[in-house]
Amino acid sequence: MYYLGLVSEYLKNYAKTRLTYRADFWIEVISDLMFQVTNLIFIFVVFMHTPTLAGWTRDEMVFVYGYFMIPYGIFSCFFNMWGFSERYIVKGEMDRILTRPAHNLFQILLENVDPPSIIGSFVGAILMITAGSQMGIDFGILDMLLLLIMILGSVLIYFGIYTGLTSISFYSDAPTGILPLVWNIQNYGRYPLTIYNRFIQVLLTWILPFAFVGIVPASRFLEDKGMEQMALLTPAVGIIAFTIGLTMWNVGVKRYRGAGS
Amino acid sequence: MNAIEVDKLRKTFKVQRNREGLKGAMLDLFKREYNEVMAVKDISFTIPQGEICGYIGENGAGKSTTIKMLTGILVPTSGHLKVGGYVPYAEREKFVQHIGVVFGQRSQLWWDIGVIESFRLLRKVYRVGEQDFKSRLDELVERLQLQDLLNRPVRKLSLGQRMRCELVASLLHQPSILFLDEPTIGLDIVVKSEIREFLLQLNKEHGTTILLTTHDLQDIEALCSRVVMLDDGNIIYDGSLDHLKMTWGKGREVKFQFAEQVSKEKLSILTAGLPVVLEVQSEYEASVIVPQDANVSDVIARVASGVSISDLSIEETNTDDIVREIYRTGNADQPSKQGVS
Repeated sequence: MYYLGLVSEYLKNYAKTRLTYRADFWIEVISDLMFQVTNLIFIFVVFMHTPTLAGWTRDEMVFVYGYFMIPYGIFSCFFNMWGFSERYIVKGEMDRILTRPAHNLFQILLENVDPPSIIGSFVGAILMITAGSQMGIDFGILDMLLLLIMILGSVLIYFGIYTGLTSISFYSDAPTGILPLVWNIQNYGRYPLTIYNRFIQVLLTWILPFAFVGIVPASRFLEDKGMEQMALLTPAVGIIAFTIGLTMWNVGVKRYRGAGS
Repeated sequence: MNAIEVDKLRKTFKVQRNREGLKGAMLDLFKREYNEVMAVKDISFTIPQGEICGYIGENGAGKSTTIKMLTGILVPTSGHLKVGGYVPYAEREKFVQHIGVVFGQRSQLWWDIGVIESFRLLRKVYRVGEQDFKSRLDELVERLQLQDLLNRPVRKLSLGQRMRCELVASLLHQPSILFLDEPTIGLDIVVKSEIREFLLQLNKEHGTTILLTTHDLQDIEALCSRVVMLDDGNIIYDGSLDHLKMTWGKGREVKFQFAEQVSKEKLSILTAGLPVVLEVQSEYEASVIVPQDANVSDVIARVASGVSISDLSIEETNTDDIVREIYRTGNADQPSKQGVS
């Protein structure tokens, strides 16, 4: 309850500071959407040359992409820590965070919320519904509930992986280049796993489980993809990834050394 | 009850040793070498509740490192500490509810929003009830005269205005212990004395324990009943400021200006038998250092009986000089004996 109250309070302050720059807000929304549209066009182009991709039709791929956008939008809204090392460790702003009685990661996430990103989630939902109705997929109440749990699991996977990777800043002096690398890998998670070689399949499923933020959970709602059982693992994978990430973070904070005076 | 208990507190940092030149950088890439730097070396002290304690030392003496351990930001390498009944690094989130922290060099307010918005956010963060918050804020705002500033964004405040707001921000949740790291840095004299007065009043009315680091010894003189002096990670003095002055001060300095030429020999004869030190600047100027226990009027009478004086002044050794001397020698145990002959 305390934390929910804080979320709304921080969002209010975000609104106060950012809505004064309205143009800025909309430019961000539009550039986000443009990026997603390019990805979508890419899918359409691919399917102009082939009717199926490893057994997946165009509508199925769009459906998966729609699913992929939902947890991604939520994640980018609440996780905007790409400048963490610079701002909080090098400049020592972590000092201020650590003298306040709320969990430190939570405070940092809230200080950097980026609500425009969440619009991507809505677009994703629309894509899912459109593609789904084209294929004649029925969504019952139970399916909706399952979908919500899947999305939650996927969001936790994102948080876990990136929290863990960001916490490397506590262990190593220099910020590393690993974040952009992983960022690129994450996009592989929305294509059928069978198009990749064995190594990448294992990587995407069990090491950096990005298969669980797109293709795997989405396939649960499609016919005969052979991943229905695996899809149910999504929440579990989410909880595991999140626990690992948060533990790395909490241990890392103890190694924080402060900066300057 | 003690507000702060520190026992054999130590903090070491691993610092990477960078080798020189391009070749060195290449070597560093593959095999790193680390130096262990001990920033705080097994210090112990206790501060009773309700005391204002000054924590001074040169840059790099370990002041900030100590403060950061006391506030739970850093985890000590070894030793015990207890602040307000908590072990800061172990129960940080519960512990910080009871302390206030102001880092003079860093802001805890949100840059773009009005000051009052920052306060409201902090109210939520610290779980302060609406009623408590209102009365507390009113009191602080009146004390520090912030009425006109509350709706301005922090980036449009002057340093003095900002610092007063920082103080309010750190006190909204009624902390029993207040840590101030260089609270008066860069402020003008008026604001400085306002802040000092405010802190004194706070201490008196609410019994708030205050630990402050500063480079401005006037802060210490105005506020602190007790001084802890740190040098190279060790405590070299812990006691009252008066005691420090007594043992280290060379006494009072009487400066004479003469109306006629006076030789050193003549002055030596005149002051013979008195426990004073004579320093002759020129034929018309001399100064005499009189220890605390000797009588200044005797000295003046003696000198005046032999030569004609055009002007004279009496100066107390100031704290700056004393502390500078201690920093230079790095030892506060033995007052220099050169002053007394």
